[in-house]
Amino acid sequence: MIEIKGLAKKFKNELVINYKDYKFEDNKKYILLGASGCGKSTLLNMMSGIISPTRGQVFIDGKEITSESQHAKDSFRIKNIGYIFQDFKLIEEMTIMDNINVLRIEGIDTSGTAELLKKLGMYNKRNKKIKELSGGEKQRVAIVRALVKNPDIILADEPTGNLNFSIGETVIKELTEVSKAKTLIVVSHDERLTKYFDVVINMNGMTSSYEEETKNA
Amino acid sequence: MLKFAIKNLFIKMVQTILIVLSIMASSAVAILSYNVSNQISDGLTSNAQYYSLIVGPSGSSTQLAMNTMYFTDDPLGTIPYAVKTELEADSRVKSAIPFAMADQYNGYRMVGTTTDYLEGKELKSGAMFDNTTVFEVVVGYTVAKTCSLKIGDSIYTSHSEGEEHHTPFKVVGILDRTYSSFDNICFTQLRSIWEVHEHEHEEGEEHEHEEEHEHEDMNEMVCAILVKAKNPGVAMQLKDEFTKIASYTVEGETKQYSIQAIEPMSIMRNVLEDTDQNQYIIYGLTVVVVLMNILVISVVTLLNMKASEKEIKLMRLIGISMGKINLIYLIQNAIIGLFSVVLAFGLSRLGLLAMGTYALSKGVVLNGSVIYFPEIILLVGVFIINILPTLIWTLVQSRKDGLK
Repeated sequence: MIEIKGLAKKFKNELVINYKDYKFEDNKKYILLGASGCGKSTLLNMMSGIISPTRGQVFIDGKEITSESQHAKDSFRIKNIGYIFQDFKLIEEMTIMDNINVLRIEGIDTSGTAELLKKLGMYNKRNKKIKELSGGEKQRVAIVRALVKNPDIILADEPTGNLNFSIGETVIKELTEVSKAKTLIVVSHDERLTKYFDVVINMNGMTSSYEEETKNA
Repeated sequence: MLKFAIKNLFIKMVQTILIVLSIMASSAVAILSYNVSNQISDGLTSNAQYYSLIVGPSGSSTQLAMNTMYFTDDPLGTIPYAVKTELEADSRVKSAIPFAMADQYNGYRMVGTTTDYLEGKELKSGAMFDNTTVFEVVVGYTVAKTCSLKIGDSIYTSHSEGEEHHTPFKVVGILDRTYSSFDNICFTQLRSIWEVHEHEHEEGEEHEHEEEHEHEDMNEMVCAILVKAKNPGVAMQLKDEFTKIASYTVEGETKQYSIQAIEPMSIMRNVLEDTDQNQYIIYGLTVVVVLMNILVISVVTLLNMKASEKEIKLMRLIGISMGKINLIYLIQNAIIGLFSVVLAFGLSRLGLLAMGTYALSKGVVLNGSVIYFPEIILLVGVFIINILPTLIWTLVQSRKDGLK
């Protein structure tokens, strides 16, 4: 379970985003909707330890991660959180396998790569360079990299942001399929994808009271 | 991590090759010039220290010394063998070794002398020639190897580029490798040199008049005499006394001969002074090349690292620690450095081999297996210089975490 308490982030332009306390339950699939700048990605980054909150805490399975050192946060993230980025964050000049095997640097077991690549129809392209792939294929590789370590939590920041809706929808279907029995939190601005999730949280104040109560930027 | 570092190098193949070539070339030039100049210095002084004096015909003292000790160039001429007898009779002289260079075998020069001249040289097989038996020959290592000679073989010498003499020499010994000009010489008893020509006359061979005259000149004549004085202090006296114009009777004919005595060490010091000046120029140029390379390596490395910032940020985002990332780049540069210095070393040895053939024709033997400690220091230094910019960069990066 992921719990956020009194979380707030102040940016350089003095903008402050406050978040309502919330508990993300295990094995549920969440979609965070909202316009750009409402703090969706910032929330994911704070939950994964990429950035630190200005105040407040993030607990994962009861353990507070916000007060940990950056090294401990990095270590926790690479071992326990599968993070999928909007712009994939893949090394373009390297092959699919190399991009996944980069996790081995931190001792992550990547033996499940082949199975995941097969599930997502990418196995035959495993030795292709990232720069030779389409946007949809790149996102599938990013999903494999996030899931290969078998994490309990998967965070995805606009995973369909660089894809057209048709491809994006396929990617989301595949992502929810391979994330069964895991906590999946996806940030998106596309409401058409909500049907694939258990909980929809609207951070723009459109459909969820969560946003209205928590965001006082 | 090593695998990832290597893959990363392959991705940046062009930059990697350019850096390796740049380091390799400058390092190879630096160690090659150091090695060559030191081998020349060592080679020149090592032989010179054995003898107090060299007595030979008047002319270039350097030519006399180089010809007698390193078999380079042509002999200055000849002096009567009687000079050797005179020297031996001198109580200040420990030994006087005759030296005559006349014919050749397959381009390898024949030296007529005594076994004393080969003192300290090991035999690979066979035995030394007998000082009282003619037409026995001990060949140098390279001569035996190149001409596939073995003990008991007969060889035919020739005068200069002319026809072969009809009197065979029997190979009785093969010298062990000395990595010196001795490897390229055939040694025989002095009288063999004289008698091979006498035999030709007895057999009634047709000779050109001039050549005949030359051959006759060899009888009872030597090109030089190497002298070991009993006491180093008397060398100067002997030098003064044996630098003279004197009359000697050779084969019944009395003639005046202009003779000089030289101190080989002093001659070699003069030669080395000239070499040293060239050496300093080479060292200076090498330092400039190395400094330029440090600059190039530093700039290229820092530009590379700057270009890698995106990649580093990416790795940081997926959770790879800054320490591990730094280590990857250090490994990459260590691989580049290691490859470069190993290739530089290989290239310098190839350079030695390539230069060796030319140097040999000038009487200088360059041994590819000779390694001087400063060469190792220089290569280690280059390796350190290569990873230094990365080390500094990684230290800076560790302070400003890529995630921030």
